[in-house]
Amino acid sequence: MAEITFENVSKRFGDTVAVDDVSFRVADNEFFCIFGPPTSGKSTILRLLLGLETPDAGDILIDGKSVLGVSPAGRNVAMVFQNLALFPHMTTENNIRFPLVERGQPAETIAPRVAEVAEKLHITPLLKKMPAQLSGGERQRVAIARALVRDPVAYLMDDPISALDARLREETRVELKRIQRELGHTLIYVTHDQEEAMSVADRMAILEHGAIRQIDTPEAIYDRPASRYVARLVGSPPINLIPGVVRTGRFETDDGALRIDLDRGGFAHDGPVDLGVRPEDVRISPPDADGAAAARVYEVEPLGGFTIVDVEMSGQILRAMLRGQPPIRANEPVGLSIAPSSIHLFARDSGATLFADTRG
Amino acid sequence: MASITLSGLTKTFGTFTAVKSLDLHIADKEFLALLGPSGCGKSTTMNIIAGMEQPSAGTVRFDDRDMLNVPMGRRGVGFVFQNYAIFTHMSVYDNIAYGLRMRGLPKAEIDARVRQVAELLGLTPFLKQKSAGLSVNILQRLAIGRSAAVNPQIFLLDEPLSNVDAAFRAVMRTELKHLQREFGQTMIYVTHDQLEAMTMADRIAVMDRGVLQQVGSPIEVYNNPVNTFVARFLGSPSMNLLPARLGTEDGRPVVEVTGLGRVAAPASARGSADVLFGIRPEDLTITATDLPGAFVMEVVFVERVGPRTIVHLARDGQELKAIEGNGFPVAIGDRLGVVAKPESVRLFDAATGQALDKEPADG
Repeated sequence: MAEITFENVSKRFGDTVAVDDVSFRVADNEFFCIFGPPTSGKSTILRLLLGLETPDAGDILIDGKSVLGVSPAGRNVAMVFQNLALFPHMTTENNIRFPLVERGQPAETIAPRVAEVAEKLHITPLLKKMPAQLSGGERQRVAIARALVRDPVAYLMDDPISALDARLREETRVELKRIQRELGHTLIYVTHDQEEAMSVADRMAILEHGAIRQIDTPEAIYDRPASRYVARLVGSPPINLIPGVVRTGRFETDDGALRIDLDRGGFAHDGPVDLGVRPEDVRISPPDADGAAAARVYEVEPLGGFTIVDVEMSGQILRAMLRGQPPIRANEPVGLSIAPSSIHLFARDSGATLFADTRG
Repeated sequence: MASITLSGLTKTFGTFTAVKSLDLHIADKEFLALLGPSGCGKSTTMNIIAGMEQPSAGTVRFDDRDMLNVPMGRRGVGFVFQNYAIFTHMSVYDNIAYGLRMRGLPKAEIDARVRQVAELLGLTPFLKQKSAGLSVNILQRLAIGRSAAVNPQIFLLDEPLSNVDAAFRAVMRTELKHLQREFGQTMIYVTHDQLEAMTMADRIAVMDRGVLQQVGSPIEVYNNPVNTFVARFLGSPSMNLLPARLGTEDGRPVVEVTGLGRVAAPASARGSADVLFGIRPEDLTITATDLPGAFVMEVVFVERVGPRTIVHLARDGQELKAIEGNGFPVAIGDRLGVVAKPESVRLFDAATGQALDKEPADG
């Protein structure tokens, strides 16, 4: 049971700023996800929390107390191994016992503790089995039991399922979330997969070059990204960005092919912008439809339940995501329109959102 | 012209059969995806087409020519692997030009071709740079460009996008497909990623344990899988498959889905049998609980992943996933109704996994 706080934490390696003035607070029992591209500082944040690195500035607190002077073992934060790996030659029971045996705990305290954790994770019937006899989901529960057996205040996972194939990842992330809900432990989870982050996280922190750009629930980050950078990191296919200019409440591309009235009261920004629109908010219509911009289909990507239509407009490719299997073919002329309520606007230079309020 | 015909193709390694009597015809200028899990025989099949391995039995023909005794270098085949082979001490330009120089083409022609390929693949800004130190994304494009430069009639790609990041993969999917159409090559694309196969290929050949399961356009294979292996392998999340019993009621075929209720079966279903009831997550509609024919279920988990909301439903040990749009109002613990679109229901034999109204694929 723990609340974890980073206060203005920075860490350099030589000339490289790995973690740049990072502050966040993870609530007790929260599933908190740290998400960003490779080398954005995700793993360094975990290492700082574990005590494997020392910050150059700032403070790290567990339940309100600074742990900077506390050894890694003394912090009692558990790391779940990558790929949730188990020792293949040991029974489930011995896998779970291992961290306690390694710490030289007396045997009479180990057995009841293993039994307690196994009960909590519903794996008591599996204790005598070998890892090879377990299903994927069972193996995860065992790996988590092994992390929790020493009763850590929080547990950490660093891209735990990235090595699994796509199908298994989809099932595993749901299982992880369910387990965390049942256990009610604080979990800090690092991933580079945006869909995985959105699926599991109660809240997520988006990193860029070691700095946090936004912290919020997955829904809020997807619907109300604070910047162009954040908007592009979440969502697949990624958000479309259309360069243009806003003048007196109207967005217009340079060649005038697309015009959108920004029917938002009080919106007063004139100047160059990038208009952002999610693929599911791009509307495709017959070419002569009212108010639609002229466009041409570049490629059609059927996904079965959805179809991604890549549309060329003014020399730019935009992606539209349509439900079902519409009869659209490459090279066909189409109309393209965007509902004003579904757009994002970012300042061209800074990339910051120009909507202080909420979207839509 | 370069069509490819595989007949009775078999490859054994000791007692292990990697590919088992594979018959497959790939048309000139076709984009075919060989799709399956690791170990299904797809890479072995590609290696045999390339000439890197000899089949244990069967033939490989390009148009009407038997290729078995033609060495790899003479088959006119270009290939790109997951681990791109780039000369890192050379510039991007020299890498693309390499194959053309080996053929002794005139300098002006080489230059024009290098620039054309670079432009198509977005490599123009990097032409003068040394390859060492370029990002993985750019190296993979370069690997494709180097093979494409010599304009092979047949282009083989083995998991070329598995090392690149997700955003770049989405762009490359579109670009590769466009490139193939532009150059008019016959392309075979090996992948374990159903999304890549679905989005790029003219036809998909699904393999499992060395055996070809089904060949067809992406939509054909997605909509009408011949067995539960194909049904599960395509789609994300994959097709729901629940134990059920096919029977008749008032002379009409019906399916009793164990623990959930009774729904109309496809009109072509006959007789009575233990079956698996198959329905894609997007073909389920969430409704009120009192709608006649709706399965009444409880929401056990909700995934909000951008444009989609994946709703996990359960009742008496039976589980279903349904897909709704962004912001769909649903929460864990809700009790609600679920209705399957009758025309989207697929039935499979419970014992064999074969689709009830389908014959096995014939290639």
